[in-house]
Amino acid sequence: MTSRRSFVAGSLAATAAFSTSRFAFAQSLPAGYPADYAALIAKAKSEGRVAIYTSTDESQGQPLVEAFKQTYGIGVDYNGLGTTDVYNRVISEGAAGQMGADIAWTSSMDLQMVLAQKGLLETYVSPEAPNLPAASLYKNIVYGTSIEPVAMLYNKNLLKPEWVPKTRAELVKLLQEHGKELKGKIASFDPEKSGIGFLLAQTDLASTSSFWDLAKAFGAAEGKVYGASGAMREKVVSGEQWLAFNVIGSYALQWQRESPVVGVSFASDYTAAFQRVASVTKGAPHPAAGRLFLDFMLSERGQSLLASKGVPPLRMGYKGPLDADEMNKLTGGNMKIIPVDEKLANNMAPRFRADFFQQWKKAMRGEG
Amino acid sequence: MSSTARLQPRAEMRGYRLAVIAALVLFVMTPVGLIIYQSFLDAPFFDKTSRFSLEAYDYVVTDPEFWSAFGTTAIFAFGMVAVAVPLGALLAFLLTRTDLAGRRWLEPIVLVPMFLSSIVLAFGYSVAVGPSGFVSLWLKETLGLRLWSIYSLGGMILIGGLSHVPNVYLYVSSAMRSLPSDLEEAARASGASIWRVSLDVTLPMVLPSLIFAAALNLLLGFETFGIPLVLGDPSGIVVLTTYIYKVNGIFGTPTYHVMAVVAVSLILVTLPLVYVQRLLLRNARRYAAVGGKGARAAPLRLGASGQLIAWGLIGLWLTVSVLMPIGGISVRAFVNAWGEGVRLSDHLTVSHFAQLMETPSLFRGILNTLALAVIGGAFAVAIYLMIGLAGHRNKGPSGALLDYMVLLPRALPGIIIGLAFFWVFLFVPFLTPLRPTLVSLFVAYLIVGLSYGLRIIQATLLQVAPELEEAARTSGASMARSWRDVVVPIIRPGLVGAWSLIMIVFLREYATGIYLMGVGTEVMGTLMVSLLTSGAMDQIAALAFLSIIFTAAGLGLALRLGARIHD
Amino acid sequence: MTDLRVSGVEKWLGGNHILRGASFEASRGSITALLGASGSGKTTLLRCIAGLEQPELGRIDIGGTCVLNGEEGLALPPEKRNIGLVFQSYALWPHRTVFDNVAYGLTLRGITGRDAELRVFGILQKLGLSHLAERYPDQLSGGQQQRVAICRALVYQPRVLLMDEPLSNLDAKLREDARYWIRQLILELGICAIMVTHDQSEALAMADHILLLENGVIVQSGTPMEIYSQPESFYAADFLGTNNVLLGKLAEGAAIGGDDWQLRGVRRGQVTGGLGESARAVVRTERIRIVDGPGDNHLEMQLDACLYLGSHWEYRLTRGGLAIKAHGDQPLPPGPVWCAIAPESVWIFG
Repeated sequence: MTSRRSFVAGSLAATAAFSTSRFAFAQSLPAGYPADYAALIAKAKSEGRVAIYTSTDESQGQPLVEAFKQTYGIGVDYNGLGTTDVYNRVISEGAAGQMGADIAWTSSMDLQMVLAQKGLLETYVSPEAPNLPAASLYKNIVYGTSIEPVAMLYNKNLLKPEWVPKTRAELVKLLQEHGKELKGKIASFDPEKSGIGFLLAQTDLASTSSFWDLAKAFGAAEGKVYGASGAMREKVVSGEQWLAFNVIGSYALQWQRESPVVGVSFASDYTAAFQRVASVTKGAPHPAAGRLFLDFMLSERGQSLLASKGVPPLRMGYKGPLDADEMNKLTGGNMKIIPVDEKLANNMAPRFRADFFQQWKKAMRGEG
Repeated sequence: MSSTARLQPRAEMRGYRLAVIAALVLFVMTPVGLIIYQSFLDAPFFDKTSRFSLEAYDYVVTDPEFWSAFGTTAIFAFGMVAVAVPLGALLAFLLTRTDLAGRRWLEPIVLVPMFLSSIVLAFGYSVAVGPSGFVSLWLKETLGLRLWSIYSLGGMILIGGLSHVPNVYLYVSSAMRSLPSDLEEAARASGASIWRVSLDVTLPMVLPSLIFAAALNLLLGFETFGIPLVLGDPSGIVVLTTYIYKVNGIFGTPTYHVMAVVAVSLILVTLPLVYVQRLLLRNARRYAAVGGKGARAAPLRLGASGQLIAWGLIGLWLTVSVLMPIGGISVRAFVNAWGEGVRLSDHLTVSHFAQLMETPSLFRGILNTLALAVIGGAFAVAIYLMIGLAGHRNKGPSGALLDYMVLLPRALPGIIIGLAFFWVFLFVPFLTPLRPTLVSLFVAYLIVGLSYGLRIIQATLLQVAPELEEAARTSGASMARSWRDVVVPIIRPGLVGAWSLIMIVFLREYATGIYLMGVGTEVMGTLMVSLLTSGAMDQIAALAFLSIIFTAAGLGLALRLGARIHD
Repeated sequence: MTDLRVSGVEKWLGGNHILRGASFEASRGSITALLGASGSGKTTLLRCIAGLEQPELGRIDIGGTCVLNGEEGLALPPEKRNIGLVFQSYALWPHRTVFDNVAYGLTLRGITGRDAELRVFGILQKLGLSHLAERYPDQLSGGQQQRVAICRALVYQPRVLLMDEPLSNLDAKLREDARYWIRQLILELGICAIMVTHDQSEALAMADHILLLENGVIVQSGTPMEIYSQPESFYAADFLGTNNVLLGKLAEGAAIGGDDWQLRGVRRGQVTGGLGESARAVVRTERIRIVDGPGDNHLEMQLDACLYLGSHWEYRLTRGGLAIKAHGDQPLPPGPVWCAIAPESVWIFG
């Protein structure tokens, strides 16, 4: 009995020693962090866990999560949800006073903006804020975490090489001129089902004059719509579809490396790029841990970890794979980054949406 | 007679019965009531600004998309019936009334599609017979054949119909088994061919069961979710359930009131079907009770060519509805690329399974699914038994109420029940701690599986002859004691069989968890739906493959335990 | 001492009045048979006594305790009535051994262990079953099952033993033995037993008392001999024995007659009809003798056929519209014969 008790005590001591050493490591705060940051860390540790609602695949987020656990010894509950589910969850749980998430991290910038305006997100001045571009920050509430240009994904064996569009204009032309041959072979995001699909459609609509022409040609060619890039990848790789546009570029590049049949093309005349955005929720169950995680995501280390899984960082001064230079080279310098600002919320006006979808569905039926 | 007060019927175990039925009403009516209440508001019910309004109804009935989804759903449901009922009836005829070779071991196999979730089936089909599926490509290369697209309403109907053949088969075959064979023999003796006999004699006799199966499949057709989600959605083919699933995105805000209205519209369609089923079921029971005894059927002889044709048909059906989807999933689970110009052997991998093990939520999902199925299934059987006993030999009005409470959830698709329980666990104060636990899912599963589970339990309870209970009573046992000492021990084998069947039902469930899923409550079926939104096909395939393996294990167990499979 | 008292029991099922005021008493050391055609309410009455059915009106006392009282709204459940019931199907619990089946009633009464064992084996021994104690019901023959069922109902010494068609599931030979030993057992143990049967010979052979039921009413009660030889109604007369029913009109001097025949008899039951009105007469077949020539209350008839029934011959006789069966111990050639029927054997109802 005694021996067993002393064994337990011993292992407890060992654990304590181990965690102090990690604490010591975390103590060496990066430059620019306030001196009282140690207090935040201590509080976060006492909270013990952090819960994240996100639309980012768990496999992509995992290095970040693992590193966070290692560094702080704080457990992470990672909820991989769709963009609309992140939003709906936060709204319902907020209403019930049962917020389950500390961090809402989503590709749906517009939905996140609505959450901010509904007062469901917390204002938090991150010590990392100065390292972000102005377009990636909204009132210390919504923080951009990555720059995500969209790409065209195609099947090298099936799409004729001369058909591979290099620009947006070529894409529109291809669909208009070869719609018959490409019947049922084109894929894109479903703006109804996917928040990011809707955001991209709105950006295209606002930034190009050819949006409805493209939509009409897409509809006439009996294009298929999907809720996620991964679904489009499956269809392109298998050859069910030959070409998918508005696919998340970072994924596309990854898939190109994995599969010999996949080709990726960025339009050099216009490439929309959205940002994955993150915020601390109001009423978060672990507010300090949530803040800590947000800072970690934006830190140099966090951004590199995201880049390691193909998520392009936006932190100023970041150099490495998928840095700004590389992204600009890929997109011919014509990247249209969607800024994190209040205008995004306009997308959510019901009247506006209803009108848009009406026209969209008409276009999908191949009607004018 | 005289003015003396007449004795009221003695209410035995009244307290218990009322308590159980009250609990049942609470658990069934809470989600149903919440949905109906929500449908009459102009915003989510938890929104402080929400008011009573018919706005949502107005929106829905004037939305052409709703009507088009409604029409599509109706075409799908009726089409599915048109495919499933004749095939199921034919299959039942061949397996129960003829001397078809190997029919003994065919029976469990023909039931397999029933136990696969439709989302797994749909994935399997897209890999097997999609435009770039391995079967389609093979057909194109060897025979120059091009299959028509499965991503069409026709394709969905065919796949839905084929996968629901077992549901028809079950009812019709049990009706056919109880037919006395002398009627058929008389017809054959007077010179009718086997097909004439089946049309002129067998068919009219089993008509009630055919109508019942048709009503059931119509209901399942209206509530179907997996097949339209995977096969129809990309082409813009929307049915009511996928309309509900997507309606949030159209508004950009939680449009629970609109979802609720669509759910109510679905109830309006399904409730009459449930009612019709109840009526038919009573008649069918009467029917079976009359003709059920001593009708040991002598099988009709098919003859050599008949055997060949029958085997050809069954073989084709099995290939299409069992081999192809399961083959598709199995292939997809072990490759990372497939389709035109892809040599599968170059892409063999087990990394998808490694990913399942490494990704915490997926791994938890597998464990949770097993826990819910095995342990939750056992608890569910225990609870269904309690409900079953409350209704056992209960001829009073509370018994009828219980019957309706049990059937009501049938009218609701799992996704709606899940949503309603999500609200319940979110907003009922003392329940909120349970939301992130498997308890919330278990409760929703319990309600989703209620009518199926209770049918099994009730059938088992009916096998106990009333005298056995009465003998205990007259020996001095109270009713509770007679249940404990006589009823439950006698039906124990039946309970074990019921457990294995409930286990399979819980294994394959996917729609119920869509809104309830969170950290700690992941389940395989729902993970597949949610992975579909993020497009992680590799993991979906691996999960689907595992789910098939688990289902097969469950089915094996069920057959071993001698479970009687009902729907 | 009166162990069972039933008075004014009435039961409705749906709109049907199944029991219309049944009253009787029974005491220990005797067997009372409830006899009647199917649908006469006999089984319902038994189940009402057991508490398995609940009448709307009436009063039942078992062993001096009131178990049912319609006026006070009292209705004890079966387990509180201290009865034993032997079911037609025996209803042995398939998951319990013979021993456990029999011991259950003792367990419920708090008698366990050595005590229970002694009593269970005591009764099993009495019925010659002790070597089967460890068997399960499905390993027993029908006769053994029946005896186990009786043991199970008797082991805890109930005040009243109820038996629902206890012999109907036995084959003919066993049934005749069972009549005897069950009666012996009940008399020996001094039990108050009530049995339901539709089989008159069973009731006559086993019972001390017979209650004849018709449409939920006890139409006659009495000893087997009274019931058989002094029926008080046409139903009672016709239900028992093998009978000839003669249809005719009432004639002068307690007689019944048709177009060309007349028989003197005795008026039984309620006398309702006057001269010339239609009436029915019941004559037991064994009361008709074939004689050589005319005489008092002799009837000339045509012998159509002779059927061999093993122990005796059955004669089929006709006279115009009148058809009669009679018994005899030798075959007779077809042709005219004379039937002799004593007037006290012609029971005229009407």
